[in-house]
Amino acid sequence: MLRKIFRNRHSGVPGLAFLVFLSAAFAPFLMAQTAGMGTLMGRVIDAYGNRVTNATVTATGVNNGQMRSATTETDGSYKFDDLPAGNYRLKFEAAGFKMLEIPATTVRGTETAVLDEKLEAGEPVNAKPTSAQQDNLPNAPSSSIRAPSLSDLGLSPEQTQGNAREQALLDKRTHMLKIHQRMGLITMGPLIATVIASMGAGGKSTSTASRDLHTALGGVTGDLYFITAYYAIRAPRVPGTETRGPIRFHKAMAWIHGPGMIMTPILGIMAFDEKSKGEKVHGIASAHGPVAIVTAGAFGAALLSVSLKF
Amino acid sequence: MNKRILIVFLFAALPTFAGADSQWVLKQSTLTYHVSHPLHQTEGVSHAARGKGVCHTGQCEFLIAVPVKSFDSGDSNRDLHTLQVTRGAEFPIVTVRTRLPESTAASATFNADLEIQFAGQTAQYKQVPFKLETQGGETHITGTIPSTLADFKIDPPSLLTMPVKNEIPVRVDMTWQPQ
Repeated sequence: MLRKIFRNRHSGVPGLAFLVFLSAAFAPFLMAQTAGMGTLMGRVIDAYGNRVTNATVTATGVNNGQMRSATTETDGSYKFDDLPAGNYRLKFEAAGFKMLEIPATTVRGTETAVLDEKLEAGEPVNAKPTSAQQDNLPNAPSSSIRAPSLSDLGLSPEQTQGNAREQALLDKRTHMLKIHQRMGLITMGPLIATVIASMGAGGKSTSTASRDLHTALGGVTGDLYFITAYYAIRAPRVPGTETRGPIRFHKAMAWIHGPGMIMTPILGIMAFDEKSKGEKVHGIASAHGPVAIVTAGAFGAALLSVSLKF
Repeated sequence: MNKRILIVFLFAALPTFAGADSQWVLKQSTLTYHVSHPLHQTEGVSHAARGKGVCHTGQCEFLIAVPVKSFDSGDSNRDLHTLQVTRGAEFPIVTVRTRLPESTAASATFNADLEIQFAGQTAQYKQVPFKLETQGGETHITGTIPSTLADFKIDPPSLLTMPVKNEIPVRVDMTWQPQ
């Protein structure tokens, strides 16, 4: 059952608590049509069961922000045909009544469903519904008690209203960080293999094949690493969020393994050249091994910091 | 004579008092969700719940609301992910409604039928047991709501390809005060 009250916009007008009652017969229900498209319809009535004509009903796609509007007929009904399946935010506006917003209604294109949901009831600004009026509400929790509402708790509409844009930002962030996480895990494979292959490539070893294998694995590791880093760097920031907890360590480690992942191949190329010339690796190139070890260690620590609880 | 009039008046007025509305206000609260993962045991805590109870003729309607954003697990990244997976930006408030007889305040334990709206879904929990303790005019209520991710159609988030358990029990610790 759906329960709604339209609040009267004009102070001092008594008894104008409005109820949007979208019942099984008149509730916004979803009708299967073509694949991926649905119909949303319903009826707007007031607290006394009177139909509200010329009310504007606006459906806004939560994901894409696309808006469709409809006006209620003389019987209070409205209808949206061919709505793409998805979540919609609904706004009801009528002259003399307080705007009502339903944060989300799901339209499924492939099934006929009746939205059976209790929605938050408000009350008129200057004319609180009497018990008798409350009794007329569908799903009223009690026949004689006026149930408290969110506004009774001091929560403003801004606090209770959904924010589709913020949700979309969070969705994108999570999507990118999931890829970051998977790529990080995948990168660990060639990274470990590169470290193992280094044992046959450095030192007194003269094997060209070992050096080539080490170089190839290092190259793959570097490529995967930078793809991993891209998804972390490009993931959208959520304004007003202070970084707390293990993620701080994870990010701090990036300041070690990030430069390390740039330095290691440069030093590696220098070491490779010297080794290819038959020289002993010397000078700054000799830092290739230690830098690589520190880089791999920082990368592993970063991964563990968000995987295990210390 | 005056005494008799006073007594008659008081008796006559009793039904009026008995039917009068009374209210309860949530003074303090700690709500803690628990998430289990093969590698992690995580808890998120909120102290930001607001609540009110309205009583009339022996029956009380309670509403408790808590912002999804207010839960703190000690890790901002995890909290943001929790907010995303529970669609906390679209549905920023968790509400709990219940109806109890006013006489419950005199019990040491009680069972409540809860209706919880969260993540755009509504779930009903029948006969959830709570403990109740009254001290100095304040009523302290503790209990655990046996909620699950599936109740609210939330896909279990995963870490290192391992999903968290479906069960997310929520410990409730509230102090109510008559208004």
